[in-house]
Amino acid sequence: MLPPTSEVELGSPYTPPMRRLTLSLVVLLAACGASSQSIDDIPELPAVSTADLTSLLAGSDLPVIVNVWASWCTPCRSEAPLLAAAADEYGPEVRFVGLNVRDSQTQAREFVAEFYRGAAIENVYDREGGVPVDLGGSRAVPLTFFFAAGGELVVLHNGVIDERTLAIQIDELLRG
Amino acid sequence: MEFTLLFAAAVGPGAAWIVLRFGEPHDEAEASRRELWDTMLTGIIAGVLVGRLAAMLTAGVNPITHLGDVVVIRGGVATGWAGLAGLVTIGVAAWRRRRPKLPDALAPAALTGLAGWHAGCVLRSACLGTPTSLPVGWAQPGSEIVRHPVELYAAALLLLAAALVWIWRRRAPLFAPAGAALAAAGMARLVTEPLRPSLHGGPVAWYAGALAAGTLVAAVALARRSAKHDREPPPPRR
Repeated sequence: MLPPTSEVELGSPYTPPMRRLTLSLVVLLAACGASSQSIDDIPELPAVSTADLTSLLAGSDLPVIVNVWASWCTPCRSEAPLLAAAADEYGPEVRFVGLNVRDSQTQAREFVAEFYRGAAIENVYDREGGVPVDLGGSRAVPLTFFFAAGGELVVLHNGVIDERTLAIQIDELLRG
Repeated sequence: MEFTLLFAAAVGPGAAWIVLRFGEPHDEAEASRRELWDTMLTGIIAGVLVGRLAAMLTAGVNPITHLGDVVVIRGGVATGWAGLAGLVTIGVAAWRRRRPKLPDALAPAALTGLAGWHAGCVLRSACLGTPTSLPVGWAQPGSEIVRHPVELYAAALLLLAAALVWIWRRRAPLFAPAGAALAAAGMARLVTEPLRPSLHGGPVAWYAGALAAGTLVAAVALARRSAKHDREPPPPRR
């Protein structure tokens, strides 16, 4: 039988179950979380202009997915693991480009260290954030462009992309 | 737009609410419509929260250091953990309130809610799956590749299961409708999963687990009732 609330005093061996549960959950989540990442092995992201990216797209024999992200963008953090997984799975068939916008190099590199370390994604840097607008998008992040081989824009996805949508769009690119 | 997911998500609980609000009185659960709805809503919220946390942890994102990410539901919800958390929440509510028939009373509404969630794909243009030559398929805007409307298949299966459980639940033994609903939910997802393009193949182990667990619960409930009938003496002849 549980003791009345008034009998629960500081130092008492009795701990209410909910408090123990909450404490355990906090400790578990803290333990499972990512630790701070070293960025020493992450090179600076190469700066890119609209002309550079358009040239890359036009010259690509593979379909290209360009994901626009920023380290300060919370939704970008949510979709980054999905894009890394997609790049690993479809790397030989589809080219993945991460376009970092309106960010500092240090924060961009920290983001790369946390989510894209070793992933088959070429991350580039657009400090002013004008390239996505020139490609037909907007200044909002995240954005995901799906280009066919040769550079034709097939689909522009606004906002966070989910697994099903990403898988369908990749399938469309590969069958198109 | 981002809000399409919100609208689509509202269709699921909305469908469940309609079943609970306009369905027959739930006297057998000894619970009011409001109590049933509160329990279901608590189960949904607990499921989404746990599913989101599980998805973040799986992706290596710390929910404490990135607390804001928890609300970005579009970033992913681990379906299996979400379903398990919802079931546990409803089970605990039934146990604490001493209402063992609560899960059975919620079963048809839960299946209808799941059907509504799948049918909500229409609002966010996310119904399509693998390519097909069947006339029921359609193509994405700007594409010529005709695809299965897989989410609508799942919605139809779940709605059918909800109707069957609804009809059966009055005559069914305790926990059998809840078990059957769990099995039907697992089955509906399992048979439609091959039609969904996916990066990881989908959480089929969870769906198979739900199918097995639900079938087991329903089978045990039916077997117990059958054994009870065998033990009871026949009614006296007049």
